[in-house]
Amino acid sequence: MAQVGAWVGAVITAPLRGFARLLDVPLRVWQRLAGQNGMAAFFLLPNMAIFGIFVLFPLGLNIAYSLTSGGALFLADRNFAGLGQYQRLLTCADYTNLLSCQEDQFWTALGNTALFVVVQVTALIVLATATALILNRELRARSFWRAVFFFPVLLSPVVVGLIWRWILDRNGVLNAGLVAVGLDPVNWLLDRNFAFAAAVGVTIWAHLGFFALILLAGLQAIPRDLYEAAEMDGTRPARVFWRITLPLLMPNMLVVIVLALIRAVQVFDEAFVLTGGGPGTATLFLTQYIYEVGFASLLKNPGLAAAASILMGGVLVVLTLLQLALGRRNERKAKLK
Amino acid sequence: MGRIVLKDIRKTYGAVDVLKGIDLEVAEGELVVFVGPSGCGKSTLLRMIAGLDRPTTGTIEIDGVDVTARGAADRGLAMVFQSYALYPHMTVRANMAFGLQNTKMAKAEIDARIAEAARMLEIEPLLDRRPGQLSGGQRQRVAIGRAIVRRPTAFLLDEPLSNLDAELRVSMRAELSALHDRLGATMIHVTHDQVEAMTMADRIVVLRAGKVEQVDTPLGLYNRPANLFVAGFIGAPGMNLWAGRAGASGFTLDGGQVLPVAAQGATTLGLRPQHLRLDPAGPLVAQVTLVEALGAESVIHADLAGGQKLLAVLPGQPDLARGASVRFGFDPGHAHLFGADGLRAAA
Repeated sequence: MAQVGAWVGAVITAPLRGFARLLDVPLRVWQRLAGQNGMAAFFLLPNMAIFGIFVLFPLGLNIAYSLTSGGALFLADRNFAGLGQYQRLLTCADYTNLLSCQEDQFWTALGNTALFVVVQVTALIVLATATALILNRELRARSFWRAVFFFPVLLSPVVVGLIWRWILDRNGVLNAGLVAVGLDPVNWLLDRNFAFAAAVGVTIWAHLGFFALILLAGLQAIPRDLYEAAEMDGTRPARVFWRITLPLLMPNMLVVIVLALIRAVQVFDEAFVLTGGGPGTATLFLTQYIYEVGFASLLKNPGLAAAASILMGGVLVVLTLLQLALGRRNERKAKLK
Repeated sequence: MGRIVLKDIRKTYGAVDVLKGIDLEVAEGELVVFVGPSGCGKSTLLRMIAGLDRPTTGTIEIDGVDVTARGAADRGLAMVFQSYALYPHMTVRANMAFGLQNTKMAKAEIDARIAEAARMLEIEPLLDRRPGQLSGGQRQRVAIGRAIVRRPTAFLLDEPLSNLDAELRVSMRAELSALHDRLGATMIHVTHDQVEAMTMADRIVVLRAGKVEQVDTPLGLYNRPANLFVAGFIGAPGMNLWAGRAGASGFTLDGGQVLPVAAQGATTLGLRPQHLRLDPAGPLVAQVTLVEALGAESVIHADLAGGQKLLAVLPGQPDLARGASVRFGFDPGHAHLFGADGLRAAA
């Protein structure tokens, strides 16, 4: 059996070995010419090329589009508008009245997104922390429960949206249940408040497992001795949580908060499949606004959509820099321990 | 205050009996050391006393009160953990204050207690540092300080020196003993290091496989081990334990050598390596296999006829070559005799 394995292995590695031999001489020559740093750059080149083609180039293109106006698709056919699109997005006659804004839909989407971020991230963090605390206990079938909470993370966002639409729809499972017990059906997704709450709830359900897992890893890294020391000191459970668990969980918690913020700002797929931004504009979020303006509306305006996405990108860059800074701070703290 | 009585303490995890009926009395102000090999149940027993684990059966009394059903916080005890268990995000001062704040003690009283403990342990300059900025020895002091400020009925110390390097361990050993003398508090100290046990304890409890093998003073254990396990466990290097049989002329080793020891009923003769001496007329003939010269003394490894091993600690640097045949003598009064049941035979 072992001989067969070795034989199969040799067959698989033979072409790779041949390929490596082919590359050996030119790579050595290149290394002599370029030095060690040059070699590092050489190996990074394929990845940088992919990053350049799929990230940097579209980013540049987006910035260029945001400085143009008109409905033409190709950049060469578009008119240069300077910062006009940004001005259109941000100009309001009266900032206390969104209807006075040139792009009132943008402001509505911005307001919805801001509210979504605050409500969803807060609820998500609280629930993920509670879930992690429960899963960290010595439960019966703990692995099963962890899998249950993590399972939705594996689903495509569109599938998540569809599942919940089937549940919350006027003719959905939930209403069928209500009718079965003699209650009136509710138009969950046609009520502004219910629809917004549904968008919040569904995105929490979909992402909870991921964030709970990060927090669980943090909880498991807290030495048990600390809890026993607190027990010997007669510390009440609430004080143990606030004074021991939470401070020691903070590195993971900060990562979770920033990641959750980034995801919440980007909210689109689950909410769009679930409510389509409605009823009215109750669940119209920034990403959907950009999609509608750039691709879906009758009067497409790629320049305006590009400008809105650059503004949203700016917020995400700030959040990402915050995450990187926190990561570096955690690293420094870990070295101090 | 601080008398602790254990009555028939048993602990079972599934089918495994970890503690098999422990009876023990720790007197007020006594420093008792639990010692034994890994897995003997010493830490489990300490955790039961602390209230961090519950015994399956049996009772724990502190100052005459049955505390078996009480939680850890309600027993008036303080514990120093092997890992020190200092809260890494708090300063030394906050670590020491944390337990007192739980009792709603006045801040002035907390500050006074911390100042007193810090002075006693010479950690005053460290009070505003975090544990991550302290050396192992300093963390150890802080952990003790955190226990002291609570003024507990008794201190429980779970292998507190095992994370320190050899040199620091020796000095901390002495400091802990001095602290015990100064505080006069009951202390129960768990260790697997028998030197630590011998140097610190008023009494040592030797545990093996969940049972108490012997409870005695350090020298009592050394001079009169109750059984083969204690004889082999206490003392470094370990006692020579030779199989043989008792006869009219003395104790005959399995290799045929006859030792002039009155040994009725004994099947094992024990002799500490330090009690052997080079003696051209001695009854033990052995072939040297290894000489470990430590400077002030030398440890001699040798084979007796019949294959049994001999270990001798001789003063100075004797000129012995590997392979040399050497005669050893000893004072028969130093011999320890054990019966077939492993227990000490009557002298």
